[in-house]
Amino acid sequence: MKRDLIGVSNSASGGLAFTRRAALAAAAAFALAAPAFAQDWPTGPVHVYVGFPAGSSPDLLARIITEPLSQKLGQPVVVENKPGAGGVIGVQQMLAAGPDGHAFGTTINGPLTTAGRLMPDLGYDVAKDIQPVALIATSPLVLAVAGDAEATDLAGFIELAKAEPGALSYGSVGQGSGAHLTAELFNEAAGIEMLHVPFTAYAEVTTSIIGREIDAGFMAPSAALPHVASGKLKMLGVTSAEPFAQIPDVPVIAGNAGMPADFQAELWNAFIAPAGTDPNVVARLNTEINAILADPEVQKKLLDMGWQAAGGTPEDLAKRITDDTRMWGAVIDKVGTAK
Amino acid sequence: MTAWEGLAHGFNVALQPDVLAYCLLGVTLGTFIGVLPGIGAMAAISLLLPITFYISPEAALVMLAGVYYGAQYGGAVASILLRLPGTPQSAVTTLDGYPMAQQGRAGVALFVSMVSSFAGSMLGIVVLVVLAGWLSEAATAFRSAEYAAMMVLGLVAASTIGSDRPAKAFAMVTLGLILGCVGTDVNSGAQRFTFGIPELMDGINLVALAMGLFGVAEVIGNIRNAERHAAPERVTFRQMMPSRDDLKRMPAATLRGTALGSFFGALPGTGSTLSSFLSYAVERRVARHPERFGKGAVEGVAGPEAANNAAAITAFVPTLTLGIPGDPIMALMLGALVIHGIQPGPEMLTARPDMFWGLVVSFGIGNLLLLILNLPLIGIWVSMLRIPFRYLYPAILIFVCLGVYSVRGSAFDIATVAVVGLCGYLLALARFSPALLLLGFVLGPLIETHLRRAMLISRGDPMVFLERPIACAFVIASVLLIGLSIFQNLRRR
Amino acid sequence: MHRDWADIWGGGVLALLGAGVAVHAGLTLDFGTLRAMGPGFFPTVLGALLAVLGAAVAIPAWGRMAETPHIAWGDAAAVIAAILIFGLGMNRLGILLACFAAVLIASVPAPHSGWRWRILLAACVTGLVWLVFIAGLRMTIPILPRLP
Repeated sequence: MKRDLIGVSNSASGGLAFTRRAALAAAAAFALAAPAFAQDWPTGPVHVYVGFPAGSSPDLLARIITEPLSQKLGQPVVVENKPGAGGVIGVQQMLAAGPDGHAFGTTINGPLTTAGRLMPDLGYDVAKDIQPVALIATSPLVLAVAGDAEATDLAGFIELAKAEPGALSYGSVGQGSGAHLTAELFNEAAGIEMLHVPFTAYAEVTTSIIGREIDAGFMAPSAALPHVASGKLKMLGVTSAEPFAQIPDVPVIAGNAGMPADFQAELWNAFIAPAGTDPNVVARLNTEINAILADPEVQKKLLDMGWQAAGGTPEDLAKRITDDTRMWGAVIDKVGTAK
Repeated sequence: MTAWEGLAHGFNVALQPDVLAYCLLGVTLGTFIGVLPGIGAMAAISLLLPITFYISPEAALVMLAGVYYGAQYGGAVASILLRLPGTPQSAVTTLDGYPMAQQGRAGVALFVSMVSSFAGSMLGIVVLVVLAGWLSEAATAFRSAEYAAMMVLGLVAASTIGSDRPAKAFAMVTLGLILGCVGTDVNSGAQRFTFGIPELMDGINLVALAMGLFGVAEVIGNIRNAERHAAPERVTFRQMMPSRDDLKRMPAATLRGTALGSFFGALPGTGSTLSSFLSYAVERRVARHPERFGKGAVEGVAGPEAANNAAAITAFVPTLTLGIPGDPIMALMLGALVIHGIQPGPEMLTARPDMFWGLVVSFGIGNLLLLILNLPLIGIWVSMLRIPFRYLYPAILIFVCLGVYSVRGSAFDIATVAVVGLCGYLLALARFSPALLLLGFVLGPLIETHLRRAMLISRGDPMVFLERPIACAFVIASVLLIGLSIFQNLRRR
Repeated sequence: MHRDWADIWGGGVLALLGAGVAVHAGLTLDFGTLRAMGPGFFPTVLGALLAVLGAAVAIPAWGRMAETPHIAWGDAAAVIAAILIFGLGMNRLGILLACFAAVLIASVPAPHSGWRWRILLAACVTGLVWLVFIAGLRMTIPILPRLP
């Protein structure tokens, strides 16, 4: 109960601050353009493309946003699941539908940041073809080990890894996934070496850690939590700058056990539009999404699934995309040369 | 809480009027969706997902599970009457179910499939109740080495079915394994045979492959054979009833299928597919006249149907306790739970006993409802065969296309159906077995990932397959089985 | 009776396909070693295996007599064309028009003359598709042609 209260109050203040900023941005945009348009839009059902199957985490997150959005816009907002290629197909399909103000998308960070480096041909240029609308939510990763593992804290784990380089192994949800790149970032910052074992889903990684087949893994908190409750997994650290509301007891990795103070890695989910979408539409959507994210009920729903409500202006999101592309690009270069 | 207390608890949950109503809604919808050629549970569950936001998690899960089972019952109808399997499991059912339909015994085939599905589910529930705790322990004891060895055994055991020449059978399995390689390599992230097409990055769509190989190939081959079925004028209850000979063969096959299904279903992954193929292979091996198989042997329907239904029940153990879904539909059901803030995990059995046991009891009720619902419908389904094929097949093609499209909303997958359909038609003409291709396709990626993962973790030491007792047993069994078939082949000459 | 052309062709094509797969994988993908298998390991080995198995099907068939199955190229072409028109046209023509056209094309090889029943059938199937998928399952597919 206490855990929930802290979570809600934390994210509520964050959400409000963002809303104010977003409202200012929206007001500025309205002042510049013809005011008649905003009343006409939307003229029909709004389609939101999601690059993951129905029932998956990114899909559920999209539905939490699109439901109230539909009420606010007075038109049905239809989630279109176009899964494939780590979310890239969803973005491609949104772009194919065109910037007519009725095709949008929600996507995880991958297709906007790392995919361009990992895939031979993305079919779009993030800087030119994507119009950021708003950051929806962020999620840190936790470093999880088996409940009966020798290491009891981060310092102990790093010590163990240093004692015999390459002896420890970690699981990820695939080459180039957030879990993989975060672990490589961690390896470099801690000056250790762990063997990478790719899986396809977090549930496989946790099962493998519990069975002591592999030693560790970076994962979404909600993937580890059910097993933490039963004592089969323990969480040694979290990759956000502040303790994460869903797991307030888990210490941050940054600045702990000799790790650099700026060690930070987050997954996120964002609302995007095809470039060329009317700026008024983008501004209106940004306002509505920030309002939705400020709702404590929505924040709680997101947090239960392991997401911290975010928000902010389209420019904030654009900066986030550029910064993360640079940061992960460096890690990919490193992993690529190490191979 | 003991299993019996849990069960009593479960009855309380499952017999609530609203839960019961959603169960009935689920199984009814599932049956009709499953009967439509090409459309599986996926389309129906995607449609129902938004509704689950508004009802209790118990009711939501019971309803979705009902659709899942209902679609399996309905899917058997399309497999037996039209040779249109939507899943690899029902591809096994076509091997003998479709020949039965061609001999005018469609009613019997449907009756057998439904009764053994029901028996498999019910016995599966008993296994689940008695062994739930043990099954979830067994699942964590399996590591990559065990999985790889087990699937190799499955592949070897099943490779002998459905073809008169071993070289042709092995060629089809190999072709399936190769097609399974298409997509992003899990271990290295390398693109294999994707030729820059993003739609191929996650591999060839399984439903598109199954629909092309079976459905479309069948349509092309039958356009000119207008009188392909000896459909009875009217199906009376008598014509549905299996002959005394059939009745003698059924129970043992059903029991063996259930045993295989219950065990393999509890192992996360494709237990259901593996168990139905294995059940078919076992029936063929224990039969006194194995040459009857592929020509309408009743055990070839009873065993696999019991196996895949039992597996579908026990598959809920890893799905709920480890959070590892066996197929995309199970993944969707997990999503429905997550919406309600319930994370599947080992705590599920103790923390949410109402959910777990309510679901178990609802399986039983749902399957009973399905049996009651479906038996009277058999006559109606069979009478569909009296519609001239020229009216039927264009509609089948359209439904197949839309069914494939409903999986992930991809027009590319429909084009895949066309290409695979042509290849499947030519393969069928030359008497190559499409079922084996499908088996290789499903198991190939799993064998490869687990084998390479085991080798990666053991730092390149192949002894890992012999040092671990369970893995070693599977390896020895595979070697023995290969030796046995070589020996039998030599002796026959 | 002829030579067993079905097995000769079937085995031959599979052997060629296998060889092609093995060569392509061998050239473009990292083979690795037995202890550390690369992405090319399985495709190369399987391709070579299929080449051998294909040959094992085709070569003995040379000396064997069997019925040669008749390939209905026309029927196949009509069915494939119908699927492609439906699949590729669905999003541009709208589902109603695409379905109508696909049914008409698919029904061409049916051994029953006359156009009236074909048009009637196409109309019925189109209606059924609308009823089940648009009205019933609420699939989001364009219904009418998209105007440029």
